[in-house]
Amino acid sequence: MQNFWIAFLAGLTTGGLSCLAVQGGLLTSTLAQQVEQDISLATSQPGKQKPAGKHYPAAPRHVAQPILLFLLAKLAAYTLLGILLGALGSILQLTATMRAVLQFAIGIFMIGNALRMLNVHPIFRYFAFEPPSFVTRYIRRKSKNNVNLVTPLFLGALTVLIPCGVTQAMMALAVSTGSPLQGALILSGFTLGTMPVFFLLAFFTTQLGARLEKHITLFVSVVLLVLGFVALESGLNLAGSPISLNNFLRSLRSTDAATDIAEVPTFSAFQESAVKLATPDLDEQYAGENKLVVQVLNNGYSPEVATFPANTPFTLILQTQDIHSCSRAFVIPSLKVEEILPATGSVAIEIPAQPAGSTLYYSCSMGMYGGRIEFKG
Amino acid sequence: MMKKTFHIRNMYCPACVIKLENIEDELDGVQQVSASYHKQTLNVEWDENRVSEEQIKDAVRQKGYNTFD
Repeated sequence: MQNFWIAFLAGLTTGGLSCLAVQGGLLTSTLAQQVEQDISLATSQPGKQKPAGKHYPAAPRHVAQPILLFLLAKLAAYTLLGILLGALGSILQLTATMRAVLQFAIGIFMIGNALRMLNVHPIFRYFAFEPPSFVTRYIRRKSKNNVNLVTPLFLGALTVLIPCGVTQAMMALAVSTGSPLQGALILSGFTLGTMPVFFLLAFFTTQLGARLEKHITLFVSVVLLVLGFVALESGLNLAGSPISLNNFLRSLRSTDAATDIAEVPTFSAFQESAVKLATPDLDEQYAGENKLVVQVLNNGYSPEVATFPANTPFTLILQTQDIHSCSRAFVIPSLKVEEILPATGSVAIEIPAQPAGSTLYYSCSMGMYGGRIEFKG
Repeated sequence: MMKKTFHIRNMYCPACVIKLENIEDELDGVQQVSASYHKQTLNVEWDENRVSEEQIKDAVRQKGYNTFD
């Protein structure tokens, strides 16, 4: 159930906006038809002619109903997708490299959509999904026959074909659980989280007209740009790239407080300062061995930058204490190391000797948090 | 039967496609309409004896869009 709430919060905070930017076309297609019908009714009365450019709000109940149906269909479709992805995950595991590529694609897609919404260049229009002509034709036929319930349901279910960046990350998370139930919980929680933003933005933009829509578009574009760059940054970290904002900031922080082997906390030192160790026998187990202890925190790793003698194999001990963030999913891309750490406890990873001047980059599996070990001769 | 591609200014999202394609049902004599947000175009096939090009442009204008050749 914890996955459900994490996904729900992700949907509520970032997913709503980024999904609206990608899938908004389908939702507004639903609403466009409703608004058009209302306008046609309004202007069909004698003496009424719609002047070009004038905003005609649709009746609130006419707008609320298709949005709700659209969102319900979306929820059902994504829950089903979650089940399928969870089942897929039980037979296929995404590697760090695959996740890095996915993050890159997500980042580019988000930035492309933000630039499209800001009308930077016509080329960015191709980042928006345009419903195929058979879909638009179908919508028109259905509305002509007054089967208005079908259109929002059909288009809501179609959103499954155009997942936004954050949704794709959740899909990857669903795959990584390897469980159909967990997959369903993640994607349904996430979709439920996106609903308030979807509903409010769609409802009010339809009601309040072009001026507000312009401001909302600007706001969503800026948020999307930020999310896009965060996704690119995650991709770089996951790929173990030395070029990333995280590494740059880490370098700035470590200039004044550079650590070397003498300053790196040993397992014993950490044991003394820690409140309680889950496996106190680890110190004995690794007594006399070369070791480096990295404390896993909810918001990163400590120390972020460590140095270690080159050409010396050692044991990297990862220590967790009541940790519930993605920092528990630990990745060293260059060594193809992937470990899911316990919420509280210690995990030892054998690191082979590294040449002088080299650097080992590690991060969480989302690429959000990371650190590095520099090897000196 | 006439066939023409109109270039549309200010189509800002894929929903504009549906709004514009409604012309097919609204104007008598318009046989087939297909719009593209990506290309910012509107392809129309119409019977010139029943509806004129000006009437089509007017219908587009009433939906809040501008055509240009």
